[in-house]
Amino acid sequence: MSKPLVIFDKVQKHFGSFVAVKGLDFEIHQGEFLAIMGPSGCGKTTTLRMLAGLEAPSVGEIRLNGRVMNDVAPHERDTPLVWQSLALFPFLTARENVEFGLKMRGVSKAERKQRAIKWLDKMGILEFENRHISTLSGGQRQRVALARSLVMEPQILLLDEPLSALDAHLVIRMQAVLTDLQRELGITFVYVTHSQSEAFAMADRVIIMGKGEIGQIGTPKEIYRAPANRFVAEFVGRNNILAGKVKSIDGRSAQITTPSGIFTVPTNEVQLLEGHKASFVISADLMHIATEEPSGTNKAFCKLISEEFVGSMVTLFLEDAQGHEFKVQMQERELSKFDLHSGDEIWLSWDVQSAHVLNES
Amino acid sequence: MSEKYEIRLNIYALTWRLPIIFWQLIFFVGPVLFMVAMSFFLVKNYRMNEAFEFVNWSRMMTRGFFWDSYWYTLGIATLSTFCAMCVAFPAAFALAFRTAESTRRWAIFLLIIPFFTSYLVRTFSWFVILSENGVVNAVLGYVGLGPFKMLNTDFGTLVGYMTLTLPLVVILQTVTMANIDKSLIEAARNLGCSPLRTIWQVIIPLSKTGLIIAAIFCFILSFGDFVAPFYLGGSQEPTLPILILDTTKSGQQWPRAAVVAIMMMVTLFVIAFTGIALAYRKGKGSK
Repeated sequence: MSKPLVIFDKVQKHFGSFVAVKGLDFEIHQGEFLAIMGPSGCGKTTTLRMLAGLEAPSVGEIRLNGRVMNDVAPHERDTPLVWQSLALFPFLTARENVEFGLKMRGVSKAERKQRAIKWLDKMGILEFENRHISTLSGGQRQRVALARSLVMEPQILLLDEPLSALDAHLVIRMQAVLTDLQRELGITFVYVTHSQSEAFAMADRVIIMGKGEIGQIGTPKEIYRAPANRFVAEFVGRNNILAGKVKSIDGRSAQITTPSGIFTVPTNEVQLLEGHKASFVISADLMHIATEEPSGTNKAFCKLISEEFVGSMVTLFLEDAQGHEFKVQMQERELSKFDLHSGDEIWLSWDVQSAHVLNES
Repeated sequence: MSEKYEIRLNIYALTWRLPIIFWQLIFFVGPVLFMVAMSFFLVKNYRMNEAFEFVNWSRMMTRGFFWDSYWYTLGIATLSTFCAMCVAFPAAFALAFRTAESTRRWAIFLLIIPFFTSYLVRTFSWFVILSENGVVNAVLGYVGLGPFKMLNTDFGTLVGYMTLTLPLVVILQTVTMANIDKSLIEAARNLGCSPLRTIWQVIIPLSKTGLIIAAIFCFILSFGDFVAPFYLGGSQEPTLPILILDTTKSGQQWPRAAVVAIMMMVTLFVIAFTGIALAYRKGKGSK
């Protein structure tokens, strides 16, 4: 990836005695789609607001193109933000809303109009240019808000949960609009969301935040397959977390004793010490089920508790004799071969390489 | 729904509405109609006689002193509204945007306190402050200025009008601006609008309705006020309320006073109606 556009250098934000953000240290690359994801109150919106200059960092530095931005007023930055509430001006028409930023920058009336029309057209809402915001639908407003920010031709666009108010089918449509736009314009998008599906569907890289700290930075696949720690693994969900003690280490694999049995895991990256605590995670879609006891060490005998259908995918919720919950995700047509009902008992197994050891923190 | 039930419902609704209807008829519509009728009555030998003559209207409408008074009252009430809106705005702005919610509550409470005492009493207290040897001139005297004549001038009248209207205007403006969605102000800042410019570009357009209603209240109170121009303005240039008083005193000309009163009501009606239409006007493009 190219040079960093934004650098967060040990940034903290305090509100009185409350620390909203503690020690953010990361870079945003030129032209990437970065999603910042986390539960509510994790500091993700505060992080975005600091980037827009709407909050000043209490400690540390934020640099944009190498320039320290801490004391730059919001109106002197070029970091347009798309609000969760959209924050469109109700007293202006769609086109006047789009022209607002250009007007503030002193762009001539004729050029303003021409550029606004270009963007409204690009967003497919030119026919509503003279309509007031209150007469537009949610999806149309969304597009006006995007046009209002993008008409400024910024290097970076900030988005604060912009799709959270839309219907599910519109969310999917807007996701496609956003990713297409980002590719086409080649500008950096920083997208704050609590929705995993939005973040994973669109972003090149995802930052998982929890309690004001970064849990993990990585591609959606890295985060899904190899969560760095327990917090990320639990937040991402749809996986099986097993915790225990390291029994023995044998070259590139290790044995871990858990209440549910002794399992073999690969020892890549994470340093394991014999006798120390360790936990590992297996994605739910990497689990196998079988009616006969499988060979190998990584297996559990479980009772089916419930099933959850999402389209063609099924998630099974199972429990072993110790009461530990396991999740298995598979295609519905595969599952139908087994003819399972809740209460039925079945074997689970997984490959050694499917397990991923978590950092204990 | 059965017909019987509907009738019962109508009777029920009517019963509750009757008192207010009666009140309006007896104490508003009735008197106004009587006043209109009275404006056509005649006064002979200091006694009013029922008649239907246009003489009161033609007299008043052709007299220079009526129109002088009319334009003066309109002008000074407009000036009062302008001053009150301008003086109140920074205070209301600070209360709405630069003050914690609890402080704002206290401030609004304190702004209500002036209404606890009579407006007349508050007006008289200005004598102590504004007279030739009052507080203001004493202070100015120390720095070698004055004394200034403040009582019995237009300035005095304006001070009186402010006493009457300013707390209300500040309250109305504060409540209006405190209800603005803060993300809209942030959005304007985010799009390159400086803090000062957001006032014109965002805050005033967003609080338009509330600001116009505050101005209407201020104008109505000033236009119809008798106390300030009489005691602090010295009634040198009589405002319409003073003209009404003078007309009734001199020769029992109640019919002519009614003409002035009707002109005032019509003026206020037109201004309030236009103002409210303006306040709730939707811009182009809305349905």
